This record gives sequence, C-alpha cells and structure tokens, in this order.
Amino acid sequence: MKIRTEEFNTIAKKEITNAYARAFLGLLPPIIAMRRVQVMGSFPDPDGAMALSRAIRGESVARLPDLLEAFEQNATQNGAKVLWARDAKEAKDIILSLIQERQATFVTKGKSMVTEEIGLNEALAQAQIKPIETDLGEFIAQQLNRPPFHIVGPAINVPVEEIRDLFLNQGIMKEDTTDPVQLGYAARLFLRDKFHHIKVGLTGVNMAVAETGTIINVENEGNIRFNKSSPQTQISIMTPEKVVPTMEDAMHLARLLCRSCTGQKISAYVTMDTGPKKADEIDGPEELFIVIVDNGRSKIYEDPQTREVLRCIRCGACLNTCPVYTKIGGYPYGWAYSGPMGQILNPLLLGLARTQDLYRACSLCGTCKTICPAGIDHPALFLYYRALDVKGDEKFRGMKRPWQERMMFYLWSRAVASKNLWQLSLKLGRRLMKRKAMNGWLSDGGKLLPGWFKERDFPTISDQTFREKWQALKGGTYGRP
Amino acid sequence: MSKVSLFIPCLVDTFVPSIGLATYTILNRLGIETVYREEQTCCGQPALNAGYRHHATEAARRFISIFGDDEVIISPAGSCVYMVKRHYPDLLREDPHWYPRAIDLATRIYELSQYLVDVLGVTDVGARYEGKITYHESCHILRGLGISQQPKKLLSAISGAEVVPLFAAEMCCGFGGEFAERYHYISEEMVKDKVNNFVASGADVLVTCEPGCYLNIKGYLHRQKIEKAVVHLAHLLAGPEFLRGENEN
Repeated sequence: MKIRTEEFNTIAKKEITNAYARAFLGLLPPIIAMRRVQVMGSFPDPDGAMALSRAIRGESVARLPDLLEAFEQNATQNGAKVLWARDAKEAKDIILSLIQERQATFVTKGKSMVTEEIGLNEALAQAQIKPIETDLGEFIAQQLNRPPFHIVGPAINVPVEEIRDLFLNQGIMKEDTTDPVQLGYAARLFLRDKFHHIKVGLTGVNMAVAETGTIINVENEGNIRFNKSSPQTQISIMTPEKVVPTMEDAMHLARLLCRSCTGQKISAYVTMDTGPKKADEIDGPEELFIVIVDNGRSKIYEDPQTREVLRCIRCGACLNTCPVYTKIGGYPYGWAYSGPMGQILNPLLLGLARTQDLYRACSLCGTCKTICPAGIDHPALFLYYRALDVKGDEKFRGMKRPWQERMMFYLWSRAVASKNLWQLSLKLGRRLMKRKAMNGWLSDGGKLLPGWFKERDFPTISDQTFREKWQALKGGTYGRP
Repeated sequence: MSKVSLFIPCLVDTFVPSIGLATYTILNRLGIETVYREEQTCCGQPALNAGYRHHATEAARRFISIFGDDEVIISPAGSCVYMVKRHYPDLLREDPHWYPRAIDLATRIYELSQYLVDVLGVTDVGARYEGKITYHESCHILRGLGISQQPKKLLSAISGAEVVPLFAAEMCCGFGGEFAERYHYISEEMVKDKVNNFVASGADVLVTCEPGCYLNIKGYLHRQKIEKAVVHLAHLLAGPEFLRGENEN
C-alpha cells in the first residue's frame, strides 16, 4: 500500500467536502456508539468490565516477552509452527516461500491489518500469486484498489451503486441490482468457489493465548472460518502484542472487543485454533503456521511511554467517537491504520517526520481515551510525540520544528517568566490589534493566524486586562503577602 | 475562613477579563475573601501542547512558586486547572525538589463550579435569569477533571431559568489551541456542529466553564452573524451586568 501520510491535509480537505462520506459519517458512528452503550449495559458492572479489560491489556504488555515465549512453546507443542519475522521484508519472504513450496497460485485471505501494514498483497501479486480478500469490505476495497476507510469496515463508505457497477464489471454478478442481500449473495457465491479449491489460507489473529498456545479470530462473516478450515495449509499472521496470558483473559477481551467494535455482545463467529487438525478430527488444516511479525514493535516496547501503544486491540471504537475522524474519514491518515489508533501507531512505525499531521491534527478532546477498552491515553501520547519531534528525537526520527516556531516559543517563555515583560507585550499587542479592529473584534489574522479567521472572529485585547481592573478595584494593594 | 487565591488564566486576563471579575463577584457575595497574585501570567499549556516541554516546565515551576503556599486556588478555566493538576506532576516527575510540590499543589486547585458545589456545598448563589439555557460539556472539564454535575446543579438553581438538553453536549467544540489554526478546516466543522446543536436546542444562551470554548464559539457566532449568546458560567451566576457586554471594553 502506498504510504500517503504526508498528504494528510490535501486528502482531508477533499474528503471533508465529500457529501456522501459526510452523511455516512454523521449517521453510522453515532449508531454504533449508541449500540455500544446499550450492550455495555449487559455487564452487571460495565465500569468494572472496562477496568478489567484495561488491566488485562496492561498486564499483557508488561509481560510481553515472557508471554510470547510461553505462547511459542505451547503452540509448538500443539503442532503449530511458530515463525518469527524481524521486519516486513522477512515476513513477506517467509510467507511467500511457504506458499511457493506448496505450489499455490492463489491464496484466500481473512481480514488482517498487519498484512496491509507489511504490504503483503503487493508482494504476492509480484510473485504471481493472486491474493483474494474474502472479507466483504476488504474484497470491495481490493477490487476498487482503495486503502481501508475504517479498520473494521474497510469499504463501509462505498455507495451501493458503485458496488453494483463493480460486481457487474468483474462478472461477480449478472443481475443489475442494488439490493444489499443480492450483492452479498453474489460475493458469497464467488468467494465460496475459491474456498473449494484453496491450498493455502491466510488470516490475521485477534488474540494469541499464551497458556494454551491458541489463536483466536473474531468475525461476523464466516470467511475467516473458511480460511482456516478449508485449506491444507493455514498461515496466520500476527504482531507480538496480540498475546494475552490466559484463556479467561482472552474471553473477557473478546466481550469488550465485540462491544467496542460493532456494539455486539459477541460476534457471529469466534474461532480458535489450538494446533492443526489432529488425527481423529475431521476438519481443519493439515499444517498451521503462525508468523509473528515484529516490524518495529520491539523498538516501541523499549520506551515505557510508547509501549502503551501496544495495548491496542484494534476494536475501532476510537474512530467512531473521534470528532476529527468523523469529519474526514479514514483516507487522510494515509495508511492501514486510521483514526486515533492510527495516529498513535503510524508515527512510531513510519517515523515522526513524515507523520507530522497525524499527531497534531487533534484537539486533545480525550474522547478516544475515555472509550478505549485497552486503557490507552492517546492525548498523552500525542503530547509525547510532539515533544520528541521538537527535540529532533533520533530513534523515532523527529525533525525539529522550524526556527520561527522555536523562536516564538522562546520569546513566549521569556514573557511568561516576567510579569513586566508579559504586561509590556500585552500593551504592545493591544495597540497593534486596535488598528485593525472593528468594535472590539478582529476579522483578519494577516500572516500570523490565517486559519482561525477564515470562519471566525476574535476579540481584541481588552482596554483593561483583569490585572488592571483588579488594581483599580483594590488600589493596587494586593499582591504577594 | 482563609482567603482563596484567584488563578485567572491568560485568555481570561487578556481577552475576557469579565469572567475573572464575575468569579470575584460570586465569591465576594458568598463572603469569601480573595487574593490575586499579580505575578501570575500563563500556566504553560500552549507550550506543552506544541511539544515545548522545557518551556512548559519552566512555567510550571514559576506557577508553583507563586501559588505554592496558597491553601485554596480557584480558576474559572477547566483546562488550565487540568494542566496544573494532571500535567505539572508529569512535567516535574524527575525533579525531587519540585515533584512533591506539584503533587501537593494539585490537591489544592479547583475549577470554579467544583469549588462552589463540592467544597462549599452551595448550588444556589442567588442568580436570576429569565430564559432557556443549555450547557456545553468542555473536554478538559468533563473528561479531564470529571466535572459535569456541578455546573448543572448551579444552572438548575438559577431562578427563572429553564435548563434544556444540548444534543452531543460532550462533543468537542473544535478549539484545541493551535489545532483551530493549523487544522482550521476541521475545527470549523466542529464549531459549526456545536452551534447548530445549540440553535436546535432552543436555548437562549449556551453556557460553558471554559474560556477557550467560549472564545471559539463566540468568535464563530460573531463572524456568522448568528444572534445567539454564549456565556461563561460565572457570567450567568454573577448577575445581569455581566451578560450585557458585547465586548470587554
């Protein structure tokens, strides 16, 4: 996938005027948010349930190295093969050779964000192996060659007419219809046929249970189950932070994941693989490979502050509640991960310099933090990234700010440090503003603040500041005791 | 009773001093003596938000040396209180001299409505207003400080006033400091939503406890020539003379 994080403003300005996307964003996220609240109510103690899931994620991240070792050991004991990839390239090489060894000319895929991250589909296509996305949303996004609009619903913004045209053009459907049930049925027949002939199926992983060596997938379409039960060879790809200590932990996280994601108590399908098909079993793959892709996670893990990012369970609740995401949608974020979860993850994976807008385009309203079942403090991370960027941090490739901005903050800090300088600046500012003001209001920010004044005014500095009013009120007798 | 110290943040001091005066008036009416430390300037939030932590830390130390001995500090600005309560200890975590002082100060600073309702136990300050009012839940007040019931209790006790619900009251108005400048095209949509919901609520005034939201919403109403009023909670509680002024001069 082409990384376009640098084009945030260009894409966002375009998307914010996209009437269809806006209407959709104004409608669906509030409905999901409402359903989430209702379904959270089915817990005897919703706050307690939330606190527990946050604690589980905290513990999982704190014990990550140990849990991964335990997971590998137990999964291997069950007959699965665990393979480790340091970066995207290694991961792609491993997966490609597994597929090539089995002489597969196409593979089916369940929805997996990490394969988007490492650009697996492009690598497969280059090696003449056709990747077929089997999640309906991913399938549509793949056919349209578009990045995911939402991490949970990748093509959820695409109008039904566009899907009809696409299906007709691609021969997926013969009848001209916009009936969603008919469209779904056509896609189903098309994909079902692929499943009948697959050698290798690829999936992501929602949770990996350390104590049992089990991988868990949560889905609503049943396509992941097909990907796991139809092929001879199953390759499941995950990042290290998917691991959780116990099955009980995993089950509680599944409750929170489904509630936060789609407002369901549990998704239609939850599948677990504890090793490949056993001798006495009738279903399942003959071989199971679990590829654990680090791709920058160890680096993130080193720093206790950035480590917090690894708590994320990809539920997407933060997207649905974010006042910025719900205005601009998923495209401006320029990569696999969008919304607040993408804003905290992408800068660490891609570097702070080329993701400037991701950790700055935020009013720090904190609604993502409030809704997060994993206990992530997104605004605190944004502040941390901004500070790393100002410092020109080497590890995450900060770039230092322009000298004008640094100078401005230096001067500001001098004024803050001295009452006299502060007052002098205000007096000067007042005189300058008066020249441009009308009835106490400014309507033009000149070169200094061009953005604010596009749709808003701002009052001038008062003729008397509070300090001056107070001095008048008290005869200047109040100050330090 | 000991005096309470007024923390009047820079936006209030500079652009909306009436919020400061209204705060003083309310406390005065309740018989509470106030002091104003004239050395105070800015709490450092703009520097923190922009990533200039060293400058924010300097501001934090200065703030603590000015207010550090005051028993109770009150401010009519939630996000500045949040800065002192939540971020000062964070900024000074590595500093054995300043960290304990930051933690200690954090327990003595209150947002205005929080002080009135939670500490003094007062909900009726004797205010009157004839009309419908609605309340905007500012981000740092609601999600930062966990304050929501306190201002609503104060509003419900205003005689003559009818409090009406605001759709998506807890949604950000789009201020966010430099966010409103750098990403104005997103911020504008957010403030537009807020104002549309305000108009649809049928309220005559929109009340906030946050000077940032106040300036943002008011600046939008003024430019768009929408004949609706936004006021700070202190304006409404202090009395009719604080509701009249179109500007602060």
